[in-house]
Amino acid sequence: MMNTPQQVKNPSSSLKSRFITRFLGALTKITAEDPILSSSPTRIFQRYRRIKVASNKSMAYSVRSRRIWSRAMLSRFRSRRSAFSGRRSSVKTTNCGEAMDVCNLLDETAHYIKCLTTQVQVMRKIVDFYHLSK
Amino acid sequence: MESNAGATETRSNVTVSDGGEVAAFESLQFTDEIHRLISAPATDNASSFTALLELPATQVVELLHSPESVKLIVASAPNVEDFKGSFHFPSNTGLIKKDARFSVFSGEGNNKNDKSNSPEMTSKNSSANLEKAVKSEPAETASSLPLVSDPTVENRNIKRKDREKKVKGSTKKSKPATNESLEDAEKLPYVHVRARRGQATDSHSLAERARREKINARMKLLQELVPGCNKISGTALVLDEIINHVQSLQRQVEFLSMSLAAVNPRIDFNLDSSFTSESGSTMDGGNFPSLVTPLMWPDVQVNGYRQQFQHQWHFDTLKQPIWGREEVCNNYVTPENSLLSYDSSANSAATLHANQLKMEL
Repeated sequence: MMNTPQQVKNPSSSLKSRFITRFLGALTKITAEDPILSSSPTRIFQRYRRIKVASNKSMAYSVRSRRIWSRAMLSRFRSRRSAFSGRRSSVKTTNCGEAMDVCNLLDETAHYIKCLTTQVQVMRKIVDFYHLSK
Repeated sequence: MESNAGATETRSNVTVSDGGEVAAFESLQFTDEIHRLISAPATDNASSFTALLELPATQVVELLHSPESVKLIVASAPNVEDFKGSFHFPSNTGLIKKDARFSVFSGEGNNKNDKSNSPEMTSKNSSANLEKAVKSEPAETASSLPLVSDPTVENRNIKRKDREKKVKGSTKKSKPATNESLEDAEKLPYVHVRARRGQATDSHSLAERARREKINARMKLLQELVPGCNKISGTALVLDEIINHVQSLQRQVEFLSMSLAAVNPRIDFNLDSSFTSESGSTMDGGNFPSLVTPLMWPDVQVNGYRQQFQHQWHFDTLKQPIWGREEVCNNYVTPENSLLSYDSSANSAATLHANQLKMEL
């Protein structure tokens, strides 16, 4: 299932590449605004939260409104721009006001899992890059 | 009764020509018994059979059999005694075959062929009942076979009726008595659709079945997505596993973002136009959101490394040469290269890339 979007659509505009560009942009912004010379835990924690939000947001924006979970997340990002928005619950407990029967729920879950794995994969690679270039 | 010789001849001809010995013998029994019983006073032994008796023989036989039997109807009924001895044994096989066929049908669950099978099936069932009656009637026969087979036949018939009852009983809107349904089936042959064993066939149930199959298909897909889910049986456990997997993925994202926050990024991510100029191969330039452009990292070192950057774009294989160059230009890492060229390459190269990274580490 991870392969389908890349084969169906134009391979250069796959979910993964969209996510990468968005997330890297956000990451550079975050690291730019906050030089990590000061490695106090609070700063690190703030950065952590921002990065997490940026990651989720990037993924949600990459999926846009094609999926119910991305729509729910986007609406939550826009309405509740608080620090709490980082804690993302699973699809089954998201605030999807739309009626979801079991069939659609399973579909959404499958797509969500796929996007999550993409996200984890990309982030892991970025971390590896960081470690590599130390 | 009519002339027996002519009837027997036609019978034997039909037997040979039919190719289906059993069917011919079965039809023999029916016409035999029907004619015999019609001539005899009707007794209310089996309610289904009496219902049959009310029908004219031709209609019953038509209902029960394929059009080939029509020829037999035209041929007059022979004397029963002539054939009693001869067709007992084959009729057993016929019964057995029928039983097997019925069990095959009920077991396989040919729901696609339900409608086509239904008259056949009902006919087979009713004919089995008739056979049972046939068997029980000639109790005075000399051969021990029918006597021995009678209980088995009866058992089989009872089992068949039970099965039918199960089939009927499982449907919520089924008729209460199987006998009734049998009778009705014989009177109105095409009303009932013989369902898959234990399943109903009304439109609601069909839709439900389709829905359930859709859900099961998606559950299978999810099982494939989530590692280690294939061995688990049972929807609830699989769902548990899926939820665990989703939560673990979310935790991994959090962990990775924490490590990203903690690591000191002495890396300049270059996302400027030279990156977009490569839109043909990897990135679609138009895909860049407005988010990216205002975030131009003011990288001082970029211009100096632009040549190498362009150089790096022309790799065919994303491998050692890039890493080599990267070591030269220390701070100028272009992870997008590897990440995105990774995208353009085969998707299965995911693990390949990760392995390369690990090798480099």
